[in-house]
Amino acid sequence: MNRVKIGQSVPRVEDQRFVTGRGRYIDDIDFPDQAHGMALRSPHAHARILSVDLSEAQNLSGVLFCFSGQDWADEGFGPLPTKSAVRTNSDGTDFKEPPRSCMAVDRARHVGEIVAFVVAETRATAIAALELIVVDYDPLDAITDPVAALQPGAVQIWDDIPNNLCIDWDLGDKTATDDAFARADHVVCLDLINNRVTAAPIEPRGAIAQYHTDSDTYTLHNATQNIHANRDIFATNVLHIANENLHHLAPDVGGGFGAKNGAYPEPALVLYAARKVGRPVKWINDRSESFLSDTHGRDQVSRVELALKGDGTFLALRTDSIGNLGSHCATVGPFTISGGSARTQGGPYGFEAMHYRGRGVFTNVALIDPYRGAGRPEASYQTERIIEYAARKLGFDPVELRRKNLIPPERLPLKTAMGLDVDCGNFPHVFEQTLAMTNRRSYGDRVTKSAASGNARGFAISPYLECTGGSPKEFVKIDFRADGQVDMSVGSQSTGMGHETALPQILASQLGLPLSDITFTQADTNATPLGGGHGGSRGLELGGNAVFQVANAIVVAGKSVAGHIFDLPADQVEFADGRFFVPDSNHNLSIREVIDASLDADHLPDTIDPQCMNRNSTFERGIISIPNGCHAAEVEVDLETGRVTIDGYWVVDDFGTIINPMLADGQVMGGIAQGIGQALLEDIKYDPQSGQLLSGSFLDYAMPRADHIPTMEIGYYEGAPTKKNPLGVKGAGEAGCVGAPPAIVNAVLDALQEFAVDHLDMPLTSEKVWQAVKGNVAK
Amino acid sequence: MPVLNTRVNGKTVQKEIKPTTLLVAFLRDGMGLTGTHVGCDTSQCGACVVHVDGVAVKSCTMLALQAEGADIQTIEDLAGDDGTLHPVQQAFQKHHALQCGFCTPGMIMASVALLSANPRPSPAQIRHGLEGNICRCTGYQNIVNAVLDASGQLGG
Ligand code: FES
Ligand code: FES
Repeated sequence: MNRVKIGQSVPRVEDQRFVTGRGRYIDDIDFPDQAHGMALRSPHAHARILSVDLSEAQNLSGVLFCFSGQDWADEGFGPLPTKSAVRTNSDGTDFKEPPRSCMAVDRARHVGEIVAFVVAETRATAIAALELIVVDYDPLDAITDPVAALQPGAVQIWDDIPNNLCIDWDLGDKTATDDAFARADHVVCLDLINNRVTAAPIEPRGAIAQYHTDSDTYTLHNATQNIHANRDIFATNVLHIANENLHHLAPDVGGGFGAKNGAYPEPALVLYAARKVGRPVKWINDRSESFLSDTHGRDQVSRVELALKGDGTFLALRTDSIGNLGSHCATVGPFTISGGSARTQGGPYGFEAMHYRGRGVFTNVALIDPYRGAGRPEASYQTERIIEYAARKLGFDPVELRRKNLIPPERLPLKTAMGLDVDCGNFPHVFEQTLAMTNRRSYGDRVTKSAASGNARGFAISPYLECTGGSPKEFVKIDFRADGQVDMSVGSQSTGMGHETALPQILASQLGLPLSDITFTQADTNATPLGGGHGGSRGLELGGNAVFQVANAIVVAGKSVAGHIFDLPADQVEFADGRFFVPDSNHNLSIREVIDASLDADHLPDTIDPQCMNRNSTFERGIISIPNGCHAAEVEVDLETGRVTIDGYWVVDDFGTIINPMLADGQVMGGIAQGIGQALLEDIKYDPQSGQLLSGSFLDYAMPRADHIPTMEIGYYEGAPTKKNPLGVKGAGEAGCVGAPPAIVNAVLDALQEFAVDHLDMPLTSEKVWQAVKGNVAK
Repeated sequence: MPVLNTRVNGKTVQKEIKPTTLLVAFLRDGMGLTGTHVGCDTSQCGACVVHVDGVAVKSCTMLALQAEGADIQTIEDLAGDDGTLHPVQQAFQKHHALQCGFCTPGMIMASVALLSANPRPSPAQIRHGLEGNICRCTGYQNIVNAVLDASGQLGG
């Protein structure tokens, strides 16, 4: 593939190795003399650990090293900190962060928490040794429900954290909101639950640690999506070593979706173990362990209220949400229930006032951290559900009610009542563009047809407003080599999104270089001094703009080199289509010729640095971008079985400039599939009494399969590239997951209108829908 | 330890193995064929699909010794000796039917088997036929398109 442009569906470079089985994921890597580590995990949701007897395990032939939580604590290692950007309660006091030790020391607080760790010659021996560890537990009452956990007298997860309350935070103008509610013609209120789900990337987590005795340094290969930040946590916070003494890198990573974003205990344990046994130590999670120990997503119990004027104009929105954080604060931890869920409340609609209150609560379940969208899917669900509910209750057409309240383009830029800086976009246009795709005219016929076969049909349209997030800085370095290769090292990271193609595509497009000349490196603390990894749909917004910026710097440097060759001032040199030239002259050189000249120190004057075209660049985001769009879904409900079939799915996204439409489509479709999964199938369920995980395998946890996902029609609105960054990109990674759940749930409830079902909590399984049709809905 | 006699990717293999060795472990650890992936421990994900005597098999559900005398093909052997990709591999790339690539070897092996059983499957038959393979990244649509294209049903 030679000349490529921004905006072109360039096929992926990385696919060559992935389709031939030559990807290199963590479990594909082995080091000579490598040992294997396995974790012993608590079978109890809540228990005192009275003693851990490792002696028998230690004596098993082939076992190299065993350690308990107490051993770990005795080494003086620090806890994994939360990096939540929100750290204060609304009364100004600090939030509560209990210590998150990498191992449970005297008390286990959720099923799956690590109690001991074994290192052995083989994985099989390590597993056998786990069986020989004797732990004396004193089981305690467990609590899994965050609302119950807030009540006086509830089981205490942490002795010094009353009512299990981690954070009580709010945003927006409470007085103005109360006032708007007081004078509203209509007020509607809905209680809803955003179900706990798990990202379940198909590659489980894993890591391999090496300790280098001579230099007293470590290397950690880790299936993570956030190399630099987690390096700092493992080095500074846990091991108490200098950051530069830990080389952290990720090989190919088999999906992340947020669940590989945070710092987890196991990589820290193998770092320690590698030093103790003096050999590389590899640890790979089983799928069953992944269900227990990966951070989960969502899990909010919310009350949403909407105030309207008599004509349907929205006045104010009030959301009070309780988030189940699990037993500790994970790396992003309480941010999701606070800032993460607050910012996009109200979606692309106009409101006089909004108020959001988020409380984060500890319970005896696994930890919550970002899962694709991290709060924005929750906000979108809350907003769109209450609007749909209001339309039904008050007799408005749901399409009309939305149309009436969308913020018109002439009101942009504006700051929403949640403080979000919406610079550009055209929400009504995107809405109409979506609606036009849905064959509304023949909808009535389809309803009749469904009814004739005993089915009910429903439709919903669901605009969304998003924002980007993640680390606000990104770094890229370009090295032109004498052999013609171009090395690109970036601090942003793909775990499947295709940066290995998209970022070189930007450089190749700007410089007119062949894509095949560019060699891509990511996720390596030795390759870039900083890096924000992956998260918050930041790949193009940060990494893409860093590349765009460095390309401009290379052109500037190239002009001075070309000027020297032409014997003319650099400012007379122009650059286009990969060539430096002086207009109306025969001075004309390809970029490759100029690069070669720049690398030839002998023939350059002292005034030109022979490395001048090898540039690096740090791009820093000013204000987060606002992707937006609109989803619509048509569903058919089989009234005999309750089965929901998605019969049509349409989406229009405003992601600003589209770099590679094929990759953008891929992000949208994958996100929608995850949103559909949450809406119809997926549910992390704990037994409320015992705190045991009930959906702990792919047998019990219903992942969407090919049969569940419809054909999706995707459109873009490209009329509003953002000026917040030079490329004009807004971020694409999470949007699908933000828009899909309310579209699906609202469409199903539309189909069930005649059964007077006001609301159903996700997932809308066949059984739940069937019960609703039969009138067995608890209200 | 018993000896396994089998053919892997066209080569005769004779190897002592523990009787409890799963086929997937034999391929990955014993043969260094790491293109076959492990995504679960309940035979649900399909990341480990290989061909045993031309039939798609989840290699985590089978003991290596059960492949005695069999012909095993893994993702590494699908492209031609000169590196030319198999039409299904080509179609996966062309249609962006993979993102992280972790499910991809299993998905491609399952798709190849599906097409040899049914050379012109409908989209519904493809979706049904790939029910044993989970992809968390793509939303499946591009996988369906890739299989349709590989079966010559997309034109162009
Ligand atoms: S590894 Fe999941 S089915 Fe074989
Ligand atoms: S491409 Fe990632 S799981 Fe399918």
